[in-house]
Amino acid sequence: MSNYCLETTRLSHRFAGVPVLNKIDLRVPEGSIFGFLGPNGAGKTTTLRLMLGLLKKQEGEISVFGKPFAANRVAVLSKVGSLIESPSVYAQLTAAENLRVLQKVYRCPVERIAHVLQLTGLADTGKKKAGRFSLGMKQRLGIAVALLNDPSLLILDEPTNGLDPEGIIEMRELFRTLNSQGVTILLSSHLLAEMEKLITHAGIIHKGQLLFQGTLEELRVGRDGEDLESIFIHLTKKRA
Amino acid sequence: MLFINSFRSEWLKKRRTASSLLTVIGALLIPLIVLIARLDDAGALAAVNRQPRLWENLYGRNWQLMGLLLLPMGVVLATSLITQIEYRNNTWKQLCTTPQSLTMIFLAKFSVILVMLVEFFLLFTFGIWLTGVLPGLFFRDVPYPVEPLPVKAFFNGSARFFLDILPVVALQYLLSLRFKNFLIPLGAGLGLYVASMIAVHWRHGYWIPYTYSAYNFMGGAGATFHTHYWAAGYSVLFIGLAYILYITRKEKG
Repeated sequence: MSNYCLETTRLSHRFAGVPVLNKIDLRVPEGSIFGFLGPNGAGKTTTLRLMLGLLKKQEGEISVFGKPFAANRVAVLSKVGSLIESPSVYAQLTAAENLRVLQKVYRCPVERIAHVLQLTGLADTGKKKAGRFSLGMKQRLGIAVALLNDPSLLILDEPTNGLDPEGIIEMRELFRTLNSQGVTILLSSHLLAEMEKLITHAGIIHKGQLLFQGTLEELRVGRDGEDLESIFIHLTKKRA
Repeated sequence: MLFINSFRSEWLKKRRTASSLLTVIGALLIPLIVLIARLDDAGALAAVNRQPRLWENLYGRNWQLMGLLLLPMGVVLATSLITQIEYRNNTWKQLCTTPQSLTMIFLAKFSVILVMLVEFFLLFTFGIWLTGVLPGLFFRDVPYPVEPLPVKAFFNGSARFFLDILPVVALQYLLSLRFKNFLIPLGAGLGLYVASMIAVHWRHGYWIPYTYSAYNFMGGAGATFHTHYWAAGYSVLFIGLAYILYITRKEKG
């Protein structure tokens, strides 16, 4: 059995004949906080959407928890929490009602609703409808939704979008705590300085090609003193 | 058990939505109009409430407006609004990453629409009953209807209307799942409804499924063919097609 929580093999994808992913072999180690980094249009969101079955796979393989995703979709998704791009919330419902909608499907204890609201700082939102939330609050609700089923794997696309500095620090602490409890976290973000404080592993994608993956220490080999941003720019420019 | 959970989840989503409101308002609007018309003719009320065929008369008056106009239009609007909940809130992607099969999502959503339709029919029938009994509360000389409520006849009549409107529900569901833009299913639905009203006296009018509730009300006009069989056939065809198109979509959310 592999030690990878999530693995893709030669994953390729095209939109209207234009290749956007080219033979991606991504491996997210169990127990890691994996930063999936790349400039806009590099193929990060497409990769994440393929991993979650939101896009029909064209070429390659995806396995999660050591099992092929397509053949085990429902079982796999019951242990995965996700937030892809902008948060998905039902505007006419309150935060608790939004979570109640999903709690029915996940069949998790109803107490989880209050717990994740507390974790994400939304416990006091009461009867306020999600449609009237600020972007930061919607983002927190999106994260609460992702945590609802007590997942073993979290897939979060730009999770700190719209959060204020205090919120970013809170979420960083939350992700660290979750990770220390055994949750594997796959994060995609543009905020490289923020990612550097959090991630244990990185995968760098550019123009649909995976340029690097490994631990942060491996990424820094031969680049002592350089921050993640400089290494990232160096790697992507080299392939430009 | 899984289906029940998916259904309950879908049912919760329609809370405070226009489709919920539409079900209640749409069901009670015509009985309210009929009631006002009856109260306006107060002099005749006492005699009318003693008539042996009062309920048939009220049922016909209410269904005349409902079957020809409000039911098809209401179904077009309400069905499209249910799938719009996901499009408007950008929640298809969240829904499609929950641990339930896509078939379950499809069936749960469709079931919510059907249960809303049943709710609508029950409320409408309750409204018809109110048009019969409420005048007695306003005027002392108006008795409670002499004729017993023909429950079985009401049920059979409503069941026929339900079956006849099913192809419209199925086709609107197909269109509203397929197109993100709310105006497409709405425009197609209203366009087909107008076409059906023009075609209702055409000998091949039954080719358009939106004509069936009108035919059902008109009774004898559909004597040469079996409207209900056509309705059932179209319903199966549209819902099967909707399922295939939904399940084979390349992008789920």
